[in-house]
Amino acid sequence: MEKATDLFSLKSLKLKTKQQELLLRISILGLVYILAFITRLFSVLRYESMIHEFDPYFNYRTTLYLTQKGFYDFWNWFDSESWYPLGRIIGGTLYPGLMVTAAFIYWTLRFLRFAVHIREVCVLTAPFFASNTTLVAYFFGKELWDSGAGLVAAALIAICPGYISRSVAGSYDNEGVAIFALLLTFYLFVKAVKTGSLAWSLASAFGYFYMVSAWGGYVFIINLIPLYVLVLLVVGRYSMRLYVAYNCMYILGMLLAMQIRFVGFQHVQSGEHMAAMGVFFLMQVFYFLDWLKHLLNDQKLFQAFLRITLTCAISVGAIALGVGTASGYISPWTGRFYSLLDPTYAKDHIPIIASVSEHQPTAWSSFMFDFHILLILFPAGLYFCFKRLSDATIFIVMYGLTSMYFAGVMVRLILVATPAVCLISAIAVSATIKNLSQLVRTKAKPTQGGSGKGTTSTKASSKGALDRSLPYQRNGAIALLVGAFYLLTRYAIHCTWVTSEAYSSPSIVLAARGAHGNRVIFDDYREAYYWLRQNTPQDAKVMSWWDYGYQITAMGNRTVIVDNNTWNNTHIATVGRAMSSYEDEAYEIMRSLDVDYVLVVFGGVTGYSSDDINKFLWMVRIGGGVFPVIKEPDYLVNGEYRVDKGAAPKMLNCLMYKLSYYRFGELTTEYGQPPGYDRARGVEIGNKDIKLEYLEEAFTTSNWIVRIYKVKPPKNRW
Amino acid sequence: MAKSSATKDAQALFHSLRSAYAATPTNLKIIDLYVVFAISTALIQVVYMALVGSFPFNSFLSGVLSCIGTAVLAVCLRIQVNKENKEFKDLPPERAFADFVLCNLVLHLVIMNFLG
Amino acid sequence: MSRPLLSLLTFLFLSIICNAFSPENPTDRKVLVLLDDLSVKSSHSLYFQSLQSRGYDLDFKLADDPRVALQRYGQYLYDALILFSPTIESLGGSLNAAAILDFVDSGHDLILAADASASDLIREIATECGVDFDEDQAAMVIDHTSFAVSDTEGDHTLIAGDNFIQSDVILGKEKIKAPVLFKGIGHSVNPANSLVLKVLSASPAAYSANPKSKLSTPPTLTGSAIGLVSVVQARNNARILISGSLSMFSNRFFRSGVQKAGSTINHGRSGNEQFVTEISKWVFHERGHLKAVNVRHHKVGEADEPSIYRINDELEYSLEIYEWSGTSWEPYVADDVQVQFYMMSPYVLKTMSTDQKGIYYTSFKVPDVYGVFQFKVEYKKLGVTSLSLAKQIPVRPFRHNEYERFITAAFPYYGASFSMMGGFFIFSLVYLYHK
Repeated sequence: MEKATDLFSLKSLKLKTKQQELLLRISILGLVYILAFITRLFSVLRYESMIHEFDPYFNYRTTLYLTQKGFYDFWNWFDSESWYPLGRIIGGTLYPGLMVTAAFIYWTLRFLRFAVHIREVCVLTAPFFASNTTLVAYFFGKELWDSGAGLVAAALIAICPGYISRSVAGSYDNEGVAIFALLLTFYLFVKAVKTGSLAWSLASAFGYFYMVSAWGGYVFIINLIPLYVLVLLVVGRYSMRLYVAYNCMYILGMLLAMQIRFVGFQHVQSGEHMAAMGVFFLMQVFYFLDWLKHLLNDQKLFQAFLRITLTCAISVGAIALGVGTASGYISPWTGRFYSLLDPTYAKDHIPIIASVSEHQPTAWSSFMFDFHILLILFPAGLYFCFKRLSDATIFIVMYGLTSMYFAGVMVRLILVATPAVCLISAIAVSATIKNLSQLVRTKAKPTQGGSGKGTTSTKASSKGALDRSLPYQRNGAIALLVGAFYLLTRYAIHCTWVTSEAYSSPSIVLAARGAHGNRVIFDDYREAYYWLRQNTPQDAKVMSWWDYGYQITAMGNRTVIVDNNTWNNTHIATVGRAMSSYEDEAYEIMRSLDVDYVLVVFGGVTGYSSDDINKFLWMVRIGGGVFPVIKEPDYLVNGEYRVDKGAAPKMLNCLMYKLSYYRFGELTTEYGQPPGYDRARGVEIGNKDIKLEYLEEAFTTSNWIVRIYKVKPPKNRW
Repeated sequence: MAKSSATKDAQALFHSLRSAYAATPTNLKIIDLYVVFAISTALIQVVYMALVGSFPFNSFLSGVLSCIGTAVLAVCLRIQVNKENKEFKDLPPERAFADFVLCNLVLHLVIMNFLG
Repeated sequence: MSRPLLSLLTFLFLSIICNAFSPENPTDRKVLVLLDDLSVKSSHSLYFQSLQSRGYDLDFKLADDPRVALQRYGQYLYDALILFSPTIESLGGSLNAAAILDFVDSGHDLILAADASASDLIREIATECGVDFDEDQAAMVIDHTSFAVSDTEGDHTLIAGDNFIQSDVILGKEKIKAPVLFKGIGHSVNPANSLVLKVLSASPAAYSANPKSKLSTPPTLTGSAIGLVSVVQARNNARILISGSLSMFSNRFFRSGVQKAGSTINHGRSGNEQFVTEISKWVFHERGHLKAVNVRHHKVGEADEPSIYRINDELEYSLEIYEWSGTSWEPYVADDVQVQFYMMSPYVLKTMSTDQKGIYYTSFKVPDVYGVFQFKVEYKKLGVTSLSLAKQIPVRPFRHNEYERFITAAFPYYGASFSMMGGFFIFSLVYLYHK
């Protein structure tokens, strides 16, 4: 026993301090890397390794296609199975970064003879990239402050719920890879500005290219970086390094970004990208004038020249921008991004954007839920950044402030703010703990070292001057350190609890507690999709609300009319109109679209509240937005949405009502309630005697969550 | 009166610029020539596009961006190699040129893909 | 001993089935005739004999016979049904209105004759087929200008009808010269129903009322809106003949002469026999039955049928249409068969040319729109079976390497890019090797 400990102490003594520190850092980073990965595995352990939600199913299907058919077929893929009969050019309307990444990992593993299935790779891509993000956060923190801050940043971002929500195992969505690309781009750009090297700028251009290929949120980068450059120019911190970094990154990044078909020429034609171009031209003018000033060495002449050129340049720029916007060549900000600047825009004009729950403004509870103590540490970190202003800290301050504004506008964008918040909080934590521990440590030195070397004595004297005035400082520092440790522990506990409870549900498999406390699993969605796959003809077309489109094509393998891509509002409005009309009008619409089956989601038996009846008003609004025959007040009673006896007659007889509640009037759902008691709405339904004339029931899942109806062919003798 | 003072200013400006520029080292002048070549090619292409129309847009963009990219990268090289810039005094000119070549390689590869 | 017998019986059974109505041989074979009175068999014997002489196997039964059955163990025993029982209240065996309608919906033909005392059952079947008899139970069609001059009946319910539908397919090539004698109830058809045709309609002066009582209110059914004999061609090409008069099929009317009121011509023989025979030929698919086979499409120059087209492709579409002549399939010749290239609306509509031997072909260019299209042939001609073919085919846009390789307008840009590359090369040489 003693020999082992002796060996240990010997071994640790043999290492120099620098090596010890390196070992410590690497081990911490390694642990954080593993932690980031395993904290996202809750749903895989509780349920199974499956893809969650809706959008990831589309991504999975495209990745499958990519691995089966190769890159060129994927790039040119025209899908005739969605958006029937319009079809969709998938190759040109998606961001391929995620699929290519997963396919690349898959091919690498296959090359190394690991026989994995592409689905496992897809499920675990997001946690893998979350771990990589922690590494990038470490390097970024090191750039901003020091390696201690980097380690804290890595640890914070590994478990921060704001990031976990979109990167759990199974959430195979663009954001999982995009946040890694975002942070990487920002880190490389800050490094480029710091060193002024073309190689780092080239690397950041590639990082930007990866981000553009991964997510539509790249618009944030292409606006934040010019804004940062502008701020630096205005503040006076401009330098030659900035010129090299920004120009190389902008030109090469723009060129690379235009290779993605979906982005196309937006970098020169869309209003959202004009800031970058404007700053580019401004920089040319600015640095040219600066160079001339340096050449001339004469103030007077230069002032005259400056006046002339500045007025010319600004007027030319303004005229160009004005002509471009007025003639429509430069397209204005698209609705998606405009609603970030004007949050009320979507609710009035674009119901499809307003209907998505992730697009609602954020409540304080969401902020607290997703950030916990980081919310308090964020202002503290800002203070520290302002104390030690450099190019890098100015950047992170800007990133933090702009991303927090956008996070306040839309819940989904808390994700973009998370890295900034973690980094800034890490600065606060690291600086505070460093100061506190220095206080704890330097107190001990004067009592031990005495008057040894000159440097220590000066340090000791300065610290000694302090400690003579505040005798309880060391105790205070220890108390504060304990408090900080307690806060960080609570943070870790909160994050793990949030991950486990809130963000690990696959949402395609529902779980509930039974009467005896046992866990009851509702696997109705997959039951319905597999029924479709096995019991309908290959070319059957399924009409459902757009939420389920991706899942139906991916798991049911059938053609759908509309899906989650929501690119064609009129088509969705046609489906919305069909769902809101009486059965005979709806039959006409369904015949014109060649619909064979209709799928509705119904939560009345289980109490599942995200069903189609609860979404129905959005169908009415979206349908009514294109077809004025559908009027929302027809379905409401005194402005209230009801499904019981007092409901509007149009509501009680529309297709959605009939399809949801067909045969429900005979079912007793809860003890003590009459038959036909809807558990999700908490009322007894109004119209129990429903007869279907043009449709017939094909399949209802075991808990009545998904109901499939077959559209009957036209009558023979009429 | 104002006009003559303006022209006098302009002449004085031009003269002092000429004399200051003559003092720059030759390698920087070579880079400047290269930049002028690139910018003029870009301007020719823009004029051509104004005359003929912007079809095919991707070829136009790749042509113009290759010129502008070349110019920008050359200016970056000039900045890094210029001995008067204090910020870059630690950067060996070989490293600067190697970075420049790498960036140009990437630029031309992407242009080839984008040219259509 | 029993085994060869069993196999012989099976063989006979199979051969009988093979001879039955099938897509290869659309003319009906076995016909069930339901009568409410066996005397009809003899009073309408001419009609039945004409059917039997053409090869139909008629099975006469009383309509309320409990042993009457249309199907056994899920298989239909007959190819067609003649309901000459206007007064029957409920059918025997397992038959009812729904069973008869199912029989029609499964592709079988029906001839239904009502009369002055038509029962509710017959009226219900007729209504389900799209033909509404006059609700007044005692009403008959009365025509004071087109009645048949006769010595005995003076209440003008015996009508000499000659408002025939203009269709060679339904009524045969030979024009029916003599008017058709009709005595019975009239019906109306819903003008929105495109499947029903009035083969013999009443004259504009006709009306439907009770001949024995005075008119108290104006009659609801008047003029040419009254149909006397109608046919329905259902979407599955089952054909139904509904006649308001059973006596139109009788021997007496076949043999009697007819003189229309106001006309001097006295035809020796009424047109009933010709009319009824021709229309029966049509109802039992001896005429006007088409089949479309061998739908093919391919790109010009290729022989295989692709699974997906590209925009701006040239393609050829062909199909073969045959007409059943009663005994064999003959090529169908027409100049109005059209094909549509359809995606929510027809993008291309072309009339197909024929080689007179039954092959119809055309070629066109795929439009510049991508999506899932259908080759739609909707051929609905009066009296002829409707052809409704739809073949789905996706159309994809250009691949990234299917555009023009070098665009002449872009040569300056190519030149500029290559000159930049050359310039870079020269510049680096000059820069590096400059002293």
